[in-house]
Amino acid sequence: MEARPGLEDSEEFINVFSVRVSATAGSIALVCALASAPAHAVGVAAGTSINSTASVDYSVGSVAATAASPTVSVTVAEILDVVVTAPAAAVPVAPGSTAQVLRYRLTNTGNGPEAFSLVLDNAIAGDNFDPVAATPSIYLDTDASGTLTAADTIYNGSNDPVLAADAFINVFIVNDMPAPLVDGNIGRSSLAAQARTGFGAPGTPFANMGVGNTYAVVGNTGAAATGVGEYLVAGVTVSAVKTQAVLDQFATDRPLPGARITYTIVVSATGTGSALNTVFNDDIPANTAYVAGSMRLNSIAISDGADADAGVYETTPVPRVRVALGTLTQAGGSQTIEFAVTIN
Amino acid sequence: MNTGKNVLGLIALAAYFASPGAFAQSPADGCITLTSIAEIEQQVVNEKGEKSSKLVPASTVVPGVEVIWTVTANNVCKKPSDKVTINNAVPAHMTYVANSATGPGSDIVYSLDGKTFGADGQLTVSENGATRKARADEYKHIRWVFRDSLQPGATAFARFRAVLN
Repeated sequence: MEARPGLEDSEEFINVFSVRVSATAGSIALVCALASAPAHAVGVAAGTSINSTASVDYSVGSVAATAASPTVSVTVAEILDVVVTAPAAAVPVAPGSTAQVLRYRLTNTGNGPEAFSLVLDNAIAGDNFDPVAATPSIYLDTDASGTLTAADTIYNGSNDPVLAADAFINVFIVNDMPAPLVDGNIGRSSLAAQARTGFGAPGTPFANMGVGNTYAVVGNTGAAATGVGEYLVAGVTVSAVKTQAVLDQFATDRPLPGARITYTIVVSATGTGSALNTVFNDDIPANTAYVAGSMRLNSIAISDGADADAGVYETTPVPRVRVALGTLTQAGGSQTIEFAVTIN
Repeated sequence: MNTGKNVLGLIALAAYFASPGAFAQSPADGCITLTSIAEIEQQVVNEKGEKSSKLVPASTVVPGVEVIWTVTANNVCKKPSDKVTINNAVPAHMTYVANSATGPGSDIVYSLDGKTFGADGQLTVSENGATRKARADEYKHIRWVFRDSLQPGATAFARFRAVLN
């Protein structure tokens, strides 16, 4: 940062007051091991000393002199603040499903290290159903993987996560879903965190509870925060509609021996969820024979062999066609499968 | 012993400054004693329910709180002191509060680097090739230049506010 004063003013002061530069002191001494901590959300680290020293220049007669004041120190007290961030999107669940995980983020937005107690609440007004807490139901993301793993720690009410200023930890809530649920229903689950030192109205002081025996003071968050996560019942129904067209050797539609029957099957998904790994199976009808190479998916020919494309014609256990359709959603639209047989 | 002598010398020198005026080497040394205090404003409500604020000593503060720094210069000599100039840096981790510097009988100038001083609104900053006026929250040094001599026994005050970051 480079600075220069307005020229006129600078000259004026130099002429009139013969201003001298004197080193004024304002130094900083960290009294705890937070020197290497990253920038702090709510300000200077608790326990920091803020120092100030004034100086004076003067003259008596023609003799100049200078003097400094004793250094005045103010210690930065601890602010207690916490933020709980709920999952950004609702977690899709099926009715009756178990161990459904919501990921919250707990951030110490205060300026000193703090332990936080955690409480799960599933009885939240305004939703369609109450998730049922699994046992155990709260995990700390000990390995910082972002997903619930075997290495993560069960929270038992006494092993509070201790976070440095500005640090965060992921917290997982695990719930089971009730069975009778309707597609589109929402169930909410909240995670509440409170600073162990204390919480309450912003400004509430706790004497000698802060870093280095300073005051700890409740910050703007009240030193308590709640994040509300959502489960969305995402049901999906897959339906298939099959039609047939007969073409005999006389170019009519009579089902004579030797006539060819072309089947068209439209597969579609309805509902808010996703149908995963959807596979279409159709046995070849009795007294008919599959027409080799007749399979098509969305008007594109697919081979009979078990290969890279989605379709395969199998002879065991019974002759049938199989088409792997992958993930189906209502938004993704329908899939059209065609194959042909001849009448024996 | 050489070392011992030096130590004694230092102690004697310290004694000079510890008792200003009385043993002053030159007529000027020790004529002004300077003190600095840090205070915060506290809202108080009296028995009539009237609100007022008072200054209380600040030993611990939380980020976001305004600290009032008051510097007092006292002339303890029998002669007036001339060209009295008080300097104070805005303490580290604090931000100067605009228009908060006061000092009866003084002209106040500011500096960003401790070298170039100018009146409020006169300092400039070069940023991305352009020059703009420096904001008050960028002031790092404050200087009070007293217009009149400080008479024997008289006191000069300089005060500013800064917010803890």
